[in-house]
Amino acid sequence: MTSLTVRSAGWRRPMAYLGGAVLLLGGLIVLLPEGIGAFPPEWDIGFGPAVNEVQQWWISNRRDLGVYLFFFDPLSDSIDWLLRAFENLLMAIPWYVHVAGVGVVFGRWLGRAGGLAAGAGMLYFVALGLWEQSVQTFSLMTVAVALAVAIGVPVGILAARSDWVFRGLRPVLDSMQTLPAFVYLIPVLLFFGVARVPSLIATVIYALPPVIRLTNLGIRQVPTESLEAGLMFGSTSGQLLRKVQLPQAVPSILAGVNQTIMMALSIVVIAAMIGAGGLGQEVLLALRHQEVGRAVEAGMAIVLMAVMLDRFSHSLVGQGRMGGAHHTEGLRYRYWWVAGGVLAALAIAGWTIGWTDYPTALQFSYAAPIDGAVDWARDNLYQLGNLPVGTGPFSDFLTTYGTRPMRLYLSEEAWPVVVLFFGFVAWWASGKKLLLGSVVGTVVIGLLGMWTLTMDTLSQTVVAVLMAIVIGLPLGVAASRRDWLERGMRPVLDTLQTIPSFCFLVPVVILFNVGRIPGIIASVLYAIPPVIRLTNLGIRSVDSEIVEASESFGVTRRQKLWKIQLPLAMPTVLAGINQTVMLVLAMVVIAGLVGGAGLGLEAVKGLARSDTGLGFEAGASIVILAMILDRITQGWAARFQPPSSDRG
Amino acid sequence: MADSEEHSNSPSDRPILASGVWKVFGKRVADAMAMARDKVDQSEILAKSGCVVAVQDATFEVNWGEIFVVMGLSGSGKSTLIRCLSRLVDATAGRIVINGQDLGEMPELELRELRRHTISMVFQNYGLFPHRRVIDNVAFGLEVRGATKEDRYQKAEEMIELVGLDGWASNYPEQLSGGMKQRVGLARALAVDPEILLFDEPFSALDPLIRRDMQDELLGLQERLRCTMVFITHDFSEALKLGDRIAIMRSGAIVQVGTPEEIVAHPADDYVRDFTIDVPRHKVLSAGTVMAGVSPDMVLEGEPVAVSARLDAILPRLLTEGRPVPVVDERGERCGVLEPAVVSRYLWRQ
Ligand SMILES: Nc1ncnc2c1ncn2[C@@H]1O[C@H](COP(=O)(O)OP(=O)(O)OP(=O)(O)O)[C@@H](O)[C@H]1O
Ligand SMILES: [Mg+2]
Repeated sequence: MTSLTVRSAGWRRPMAYLGGAVLLLGGLIVLLPEGIGAFPPEWDIGFGPAVNEVQQWWISNRRDLGVYLFFFDPLSDSIDWLLRAFENLLMAIPWYVHVAGVGVVFGRWLGRAGGLAAGAGMLYFVALGLWEQSVQTFSLMTVAVALAVAIGVPVGILAARSDWVFRGLRPVLDSMQTLPAFVYLIPVLLFFGVARVPSLIATVIYALPPVIRLTNLGIRQVPTESLEAGLMFGSTSGQLLRKVQLPQAVPSILAGVNQTIMMALSIVVIAAMIGAGGLGQEVLLALRHQEVGRAVEAGMAIVLMAVMLDRFSHSLVGQGRMGGAHHTEGLRYRYWWVAGGVLAALAIAGWTIGWTDYPTALQFSYAAPIDGAVDWARDNLYQLGNLPVGTGPFSDFLTTYGTRPMRLYLSEEAWPVVVLFFGFVAWWASGKKLLLGSVVGTVVIGLLGMWTLTMDTLSQTVVAVLMAIVIGLPLGVAASRRDWLERGMRPVLDTLQTIPSFCFLVPVVILFNVGRIPGIIASVLYAIPPVIRLTNLGIRSVDSEIVEASESFGVTRRQKLWKIQLPLAMPTVLAGINQTVMLVLAMVVIAGLVGGAGLGLEAVKGLARSDTGLGFEAGASIVILAMILDRITQGWAARFQPPSSDRG
Repeated sequence: MADSEEHSNSPSDRPILASGVWKVFGKRVADAMAMARDKVDQSEILAKSGCVVAVQDATFEVNWGEIFVVMGLSGSGKSTLIRCLSRLVDATAGRIVINGQDLGEMPELELRELRRHTISMVFQNYGLFPHRRVIDNVAFGLEVRGATKEDRYQKAEEMIELVGLDGWASNYPEQLSGGMKQRVGLARALAVDPEILLFDEPFSALDPLIRRDMQDELLGLQERLRCTMVFITHDFSEALKLGDRIAIMRSGAIVQVGTPEEIVAHPADDYVRDFTIDVPRHKVLSAGTVMAGVSPDMVLEGEPVAVSARLDAILPRLLTEGRPVPVVDERGERCGVLEPAVVSRYLWRQ
């Protein structure tokens, strides 16, 4: 029971700090003279224009720069060549061979139903006339993932073999994972401009961390005895790596590849902003023209691709784990030989009779009914008659009582108060170092001239996070008490987590029109799974002995929840909230595209107008904001962690 | 494989010689060693210097073809010691000589050759490669040193048969029981024809009955192969059963080295004596150890017994006849006498 007392002390102290913060804030507001408002615009250090000048110089001199002539250009040309070759190859194969081929592979690994579903999925791409875009997206993804693996596995191996490399790499990987995908586009843009290769490079960089992490982890997790056995037979270090470490790390590496694929897919739409083309561009254009039906069609195609690739790479992980152990070799290969032969025959037949394209007559679209539904929804769901019910009044309510006052307060109230408040929260969450970091960070945001925009984004983030917690926490608690609810929720949460962030915007725009509110709603949907999941997990993993002990004192259910389960589950719940905050931020930034305003919109403007400087300023502010929020929520979670002596 | 007759067992020709071996984990090595020399106990050294003195000043030698058992409680440094013998762990101080070569000064390449041809090891948790079939596990040592696929599979098949796993060659380790896994570990170690075999608690993870089978099998193998074995265990009865000689470790130091009989008959201190309490002494002690001296003119009746005879064979006679029994040496000459009173003192000491 000692752990209980320790923890409830940890629970009360933050409350005292919070009280202190409120008092401090009140005091500051009273004491500061009138007239100190938003961060003074004349303190803008003009970082953006400077970046633009560098870029100008870069562009006008790039023909003479060695890095371009001998490195970037050849690199970019060969990647481009690879991409095109792969794309042409895929396009040359008749569509029905693709459908059947994917069905065959999935059928083998995931059973007959899996094969049929996958074939149907492939049919979707062709039948909706999205074939070319799908092939583009798929090729870009494949090449990006292949590059990420080609870079990530060796780096992961290095990290596993040298603690020194690992220590250097870890903070980099950590911060890479907290940054919204958006941010990666901006520096790439500076060096490469808008085209497919830069978008591919951004994808590779964004998707790289999981392979590195999990390769490193997989190798480090090889049991010591296994290593010692390898060494004792006199393996050279190369033999040890090839024969002992790598084979045992395969499942972990494949799990990393799975995550990498999902990450690469999740930035498909964003990468389209700098010229990735494909399905992402389709969604982007459709959204710009407010053609919701078309956006849904392409968005669904991305979701489909995500789900299929996820299943596929998951089953790869399974295959890796079995090590192909349980099939006898002959049987294993015969299936593939036969299937491959039939498919090749089909392809050749198609080429000879010249029937390779999907017949236009059979094409299919459900954009029109959706557009109809959207119009209907706009006319009818927006407001029910004159009643204050519907999405319109709901957004108005959220705007009036949530985002607007918060935004106005944050951006127009005296800026030192905001800086100090941030500093205080940071100090309370983790100590002096973070206090300093967040004060410097917020001031830098001001100096970049992004104060008002950042406060706008921050206010949206706060409102969305609060909503996610208010909805997610009770759902998590409920799920922890009812197995059927947990089981029912799991596939929903799984799906929410596989859908690329951008696709959330589409349905939300249908219902809520454009503006800040749809962005917030999309963020809540996108970011809610971790709170629900981890609340459920945290409560379920409370030591049953402690719960029984409390029951023996005759607590009510409510007392049990508030006095025992929630406090003990707090570290886990807070870890969930940390993830939620980061997801919300990533989404709020993207929502700039549907009128979300704030930093996201500014970054998009920068990208769209080739005002890289502006993009840089907005991007840097996003990075700073993300880092501060991440560290604060992590520090907060760490506070609730029981002291380590208590853990054993 | 080594034949004990080929070797003289002179000091320069011992398979393993260890003198003054230390292993200290941590940074302030010198402080920790100084404290250990002053008999400060381990937990205090850890608190003061942050170092763990896992092995301190270990000196012993292993003879050709014997099973040398290292026995001690958990955490007494046995694993660390045996890992020093193959340089899986670098000793902090001291000298280890394998086959006349100084291990500490051996360059990487020679060390690798030594491990490829001379020393093999069997691990507590088997240390099998889960991604390789049984046969590929067994053939690993040969593969690493560059044998052709044909050669190594042939040898591996032989070894698999030797340990009684015929028919399991193409299974994966996870499909085997614990006892079978350790047979694979053994076959893998034997496949490279080592002169020296190191065992780090190989049978600790096995059920008692299977453990007994494996012990018997190991003794059988030793009869046939005659290689030098260093065997680690925390089980004193296992040590008695397998060991030609036993070293007893406590907190990193070797407190006594001797034959099972010497240790049971004359434990060096209370720590060692504690282990011997539950030992059925009549199965360990021999006539030579417990006999009393005899004057040439003493008249003794009855059939004499050999010095090497175990007490459990003599006791029934001693108890029923109730009078002293003469003991004769290898040449048949009388060298002592078994007095019931003296014998009972050995058997029921304490
Ligand atoms: N790599 C290491 N770093 C630090 N301390 C270690 C390391 N390896 C072993 N030790 C410490 O050295 C001491 C001896 O450990 P060792 O594993 O040799 O004991 P053991 O006799 O084999 O015990 P067991 O019967 O449990 O296997 C222990 O206190 C252990 O904590
Ligand atoms: Mg050990």
